[in-house]
Amino acid sequence: MTDDVEVTSDTDSTPRHLAPGDVGLVSPRDFVHAQPFTFKSGQVLPGFTLRYETYGQLNATRDNAILICHALSGDHHCAGWHSPTDRKPGWWNNLIGPGKAVDSRRFFVVSVNVLGGCQGSTGPSSTNPETGRPYGTLFPFVTIRDMVRSQKLLLDHLGVAELHGVIGGSMGGMTAMLFAIEYPRFVRRVLAMATTGRESAQAIAFNEVGRQAIMQDPAWNRGDYPRDGGPRVGLAIARMMAHITYVSDASMDRKFGRRKKETATGDAYTFDVQFEVEGYLRHQGQSFINRFDANSYLYITRALDQFDLADAHGSLEAAFAPVEAETLVVGFTSDWLFPPEQNRALTLALLRAGKRASYAELSTDLGHDSFLLESEELYTLVRGFLERDQPFVFDYSI
Amino acid sequence: MTKLVEKRTVDMEIIGDWVEPNTRVLDLGCGPGVLLDYLVQTKKVSAVGVDLDFTKITACVRRGVAAYQGDMIAFMRTFPERHFDRVICSRTVQELSDPTAVITEALRVGRALTVGFVNHGFWKNRLHTLLRGRKIRNEVYTTEWFESRPANPVTIADFEHFCAAKGIRVARRAHLAGNWHKPCRTLPNLLAGYALYDLTR
Repeated sequence: MTDDVEVTSDTDSTPRHLAPGDVGLVSPRDFVHAQPFTFKSGQVLPGFTLRYETYGQLNATRDNAILICHALSGDHHCAGWHSPTDRKPGWWNNLIGPGKAVDSRRFFVVSVNVLGGCQGSTGPSSTNPETGRPYGTLFPFVTIRDMVRSQKLLLDHLGVAELHGVIGGSMGGMTAMLFAIEYPRFVRRVLAMATTGRESAQAIAFNEVGRQAIMQDPAWNRGDYPRDGGPRVGLAIARMMAHITYVSDASMDRKFGRRKKETATGDAYTFDVQFEVEGYLRHQGQSFINRFDANSYLYITRALDQFDLADAHGSLEAAFAPVEAETLVVGFTSDWLFPPEQNRALTLALLRAGKRASYAELSTDLGHDSFLLESEELYTLVRGFLERDQPFVFDYSI
Repeated sequence: MTKLVEKRTVDMEIIGDWVEPNTRVLDLGCGPGVLLDYLVQTKKVSAVGVDLDFTKITACVRRGVAAYQGDMIAFMRTFPERHFDRVICSRTVQELSDPTAVITEALRVGRALTVGFVNHGFWKNRLHTLLRGRKIRNEVYTTEWFESRPANPVTIADFEHFCAAKGIRVARRAHLAGNWHKPCRTLPNLLAGYALYDLTR
């Protein structure tokens, strides 16, 4: 996911976080699970913390919760503002809020930073109680299933009886689908966007280049580095490359074309930044290293690569066999990381397994990150799926 | 209720009569999902529609009807034989670019195929063409030629010929008079406004 959520500048004096339809100021909370947690790998953590945010209220029947699942580099902060001076709101602020497509007046929205992450949830940068130092590569290998199981513990803790829906894009879509497979009776709706049942060789290849950039940086030091240090160069390069896979040729061309940086010297025979796109990518890399941990990047990309619903269950149909939820998969025409075919395959397998499933495809030129698009069409679809119109009454009177 | 909506519900009622309760139904060219919604409500079928248009899929999702956006042949090719109890092709067949391929594939994935179409051979349509010499415009054919998708002016005689030539068994047929209400028993190719066929392999 890119960091490109731009906020339209104020046209009046209303503070942004008080704008209508905005959840306003929010504070993250921590869920501490104090019992041992066994990962799919067999490795055990003595306990873990998940950082999360909620918007809206849980109803009396405790069945109006919607879980938001983030992508590789996302986090729990998906709507609202942490402070009035924040530069940007949560990453899915356009979708979530009072009166928005995911209506926080109706639903109790929960958003969690994944296990293995680095935004407050326990991950490789957390302190290993046995050594008093960050876990580094001693952290257990994380799978999407481990993320799902840990988030279920949080939802139980919050008193959620049933999920009205679970929503996610990219890795979040994988998480959402696996939730409905692991806890069929707990999940009523799955909305998965720009996702896949398993990554293609190309997607794994891109992740591997990112990992190599990190691990070949001497500062990585086999994952053992101080909190304020680490493979900053490698992580920035990994991010620069990954960023390209989240957008498209057309969108980059529209945004940058071959425009030159104003600071460019005019000398073509230099390796300083000349094109705007170079400056932009360098900025993306630099801002990423200030908020993301390199080891978390290794762990989560590995979890993405390992995710394979068909392989884990024999076939996609077998994987979906236990699902009781209704599923909506949304693909985007310009997504070349998890292309429409891979999204379509999910709905087709669900249908072959006899499940209720739909597939919609939006024509965009923004690439993989199209799921973050500001689009009334997408909002109408999402709202329609979550809220459903009253049953249509057939009138035979003449 | 407008005349056209009235006609549409007649069409739906006959298709509904042919659909067994609690079966698996696929609607090719489902539009906003009105027919499937009706079948879900009256026959408790497990339904899915296929359409090319995002707004149609959105309309289905809002009704609670499962729908798939994409090419209908590509969709059907991913299903095993007889996965569906019934495939429905209601007022779609005239717009297909390869009707034989669609009907053949539908008869593979479905135990039965219902095809409904407006009979272009209806005498009023013939008269209209003969006298005006232009594309038919009425409550059924609502668009100018330059505003509409390409459509084959298929007739009952054409369709009967197709079934015979391809060895497709016609299990049931319903020919409706010009108002689409009363059955039409004589000279259907001339006197019927609408035709419904129930096909099997």
